[in-house]
Amino acid sequence: MKSIRLYLLLALLATITLVNFVSLLHGYQSSMQKAQNLFDSRLESTAILIASANSRQVGQETVTNQQTPYTFFQIIDDNGQLLTRSENAPDKVLGELEQGFHIINFGSYRWRNYVYRDTVLQRWVIVAERIDIRYMLAEDVVMESLLPIVMAIPVAALIIWFAVGIGLKPLNAFASQLSERRADDLRPIELERVPKELTTVVNNTNSLLLRLAEAFDREQRFSADAAHELRTPVSVLKVHLHNLRTRLGKDDEDIILLRDGVERMGHLIEQILALYRTSPDQAAVKFEHVDLFKMVQEIIARGYDAFESKQQEIELDGESHIIEGNVFALETLISNLLNNANKYTPEKGQIHAVVRRHEEGVLLRVEDSGPGIPEDQYQRVFERFYRLHGDQHNSGVVGCGLGLTIVKHIADLHHASIQLGTSAWGHGLRVDVIFPLRAVNYA
Amino acid sequence: MLLNAVVIVLREVLEASLIISVFLALSQILNRSLKWMLLALVLGLISGFIYAGTISTVSMAFGGIGQEIVNATINILIFIALIIFVYAIPHQTNQRCRQLTVIAIMSTVILAIMREGSEVLLFITGFIGVPDLLGPVLMGGAVGAGLGVSVGVFIYYFIVNLIPRYGVWVGYLLLLLVAGSLMSQAVEFLIQADLLTSSEPVWNSSNIIDEHSVAGQLLFALLGYEATPQTSQVIAYICSMTALFCVAMFSFIKRDRN
Repeated sequence: MKSIRLYLLLALLATITLVNFVSLLHGYQSSMQKAQNLFDSRLESTAILIASANSRQVGQETVTNQQTPYTFFQIIDDNGQLLTRSENAPDKVLGELEQGFHIINFGSYRWRNYVYRDTVLQRWVIVAERIDIRYMLAEDVVMESLLPIVMAIPVAALIIWFAVGIGLKPLNAFASQLSERRADDLRPIELERVPKELTTVVNNTNSLLLRLAEAFDREQRFSADAAHELRTPVSVLKVHLHNLRTRLGKDDEDIILLRDGVERMGHLIEQILALYRTSPDQAAVKFEHVDLFKMVQEIIARGYDAFESKQQEIELDGESHIIEGNVFALETLISNLLNNANKYTPEKGQIHAVVRRHEEGVLLRVEDSGPGIPEDQYQRVFERFYRLHGDQHNSGVVGCGLGLTIVKHIADLHHASIQLGTSAWGHGLRVDVIFPLRAVNYA
Repeated sequence: MLLNAVVIVLREVLEASLIISVFLALSQILNRSLKWMLLALVLGLISGFIYAGTISTVSMAFGGIGQEIVNATINILIFIALIIFVYAIPHQTNQRCRQLTVIAIMSTVILAIMREGSEVLLFITGFIGVPDLLGPVLMGGAVGAGLGVSVGVFIYYFIVNLIPRYGVWVGYLLLLLVAGSLMSQAVEFLIQADLLTSSEPVWNSSNIIDEHSVAGQLLFALLGYEATPQTSQVIAYICSMTALFCVAMFSFIKRDRN
């Protein structure tokens, strides 16, 4: 069943049509029978009337002034001799001379006749009517009463369509409230009037939404607690490592490996937390107006030391564009793109960031003069923990294979699209993130 | 006249709506697109108008037995399409079988609507010159069509609301009856054209259910009921149902083995 409204319309209309039309046929047959009875009784009265009006007719004589083409009469004596008749009547006796109704054939038509025995003058009076005309007259009368039943069907269809539409309004309102909701909106559904049939569905859905909201709250608290609990020991570890290096006074190979390991662990913790917080199914995300250009500018300024340490040339082009987004998520997205560019671009390399208007919304582009990514790896780099060239990654940079996965999550969260390509330098990576028009606020 | 019109139109519309409702229901159960069905309905109506418009030429063909031959051919073609349909249905993962299903559905619907539609059209247009009878005929036609379509709607929702597996089998059962009825009628047309010899009726059930009554016409449309069937008609009825059943079973067994 694809549509409840269509089902109800068709099922109700088919039921009404079947019941009405079967009744109509039954009524038609009964009415036709009644009409035939009426015609018969009129025929009988006519026969008696003709017998009285023609009491002095004794010889064979034709009456020319009284009959319509579809009725005739004859008066016959006991010897079967025709005494008189209407002009259109046969000149001999057709059928039996027995009082009552009979059917005879005459002049290519079937006739219904009534034979009347005039006991006073000892003669027979026959009056006949054409059967087809009787049926036609009867049908004309009956049809007038049947026509409204047939004409009522389209009207009924229209009324059912609107009535069912009104009946389904609460269901449609329920569905539209669900479909128009943002992923982070876990408030209970409120309907003005909940019909009995929908009460269970609405109550259960609201109870489910409540449980979901509580679960998200718990997870968020866990995320914050875990971040705090994991960050602190790593920071302490870093301090002890720094003290150890100072005390030993030289960069021992084991110390360097230990330092790299701690940095890697710290980075991994930050990325895993970012991945969780920016996951599209993480509902507790608040959207607000964000100046994308300004945000990129600030992040470049904050991380300028990293670019400076590798003597990289970084450039930002474009103009101010306000989009609707989550500040933390967007900062993470931009940081990840710029960090990747910084890490994988060699010393004295170039990095170019752009924020500008695009035909589909606002474009954020980050490209570098690094080694880039082979085209056949474009899809795979968004997978969790996937690193180019696998575990034998030889770039020598700290990474965990979550950076672009997080970027993808954040883009999905903002309904933005990501395109990877080759940078303007012909070998580096170009990442384009296009925020759609509906996420853009130009006010 | 109204009753005659009801009986004649009901019989034709019911036959067509039975086929359409079964195909619509099976298409929905098997998640097939309904756009082909809509296209077939439109093409069937156009073909019906063309067939009705050329009926006098068709009748004069083959020495005056053209209409009987064309009608018998249409029935046989629908039967072949049904055979293809029941064969292809279990193999919907195969692209060729999917195409065959669409072709079979379209052919059946187009041919069925063409034949039944042209007969209704010919019946009604025959009264255009008789104003006294046109009213009752049109009303009878509307009542007959309304009853036929309503029964079709019920059959459709009955099949669709069954558990899919049972829905398919009920649809198949109705198609078996349609196949038997079609081939029995095809034989009757060939007997009318003197291409097959007539024989004594195998039975005469006119006194139980008159073939020309409303009940008789309903049974004719649903089961191919005839009050006085000839031996060749009974043979055609049984053989065609058996053939369709065997092809359906063979196709399911073949799919299960693969």
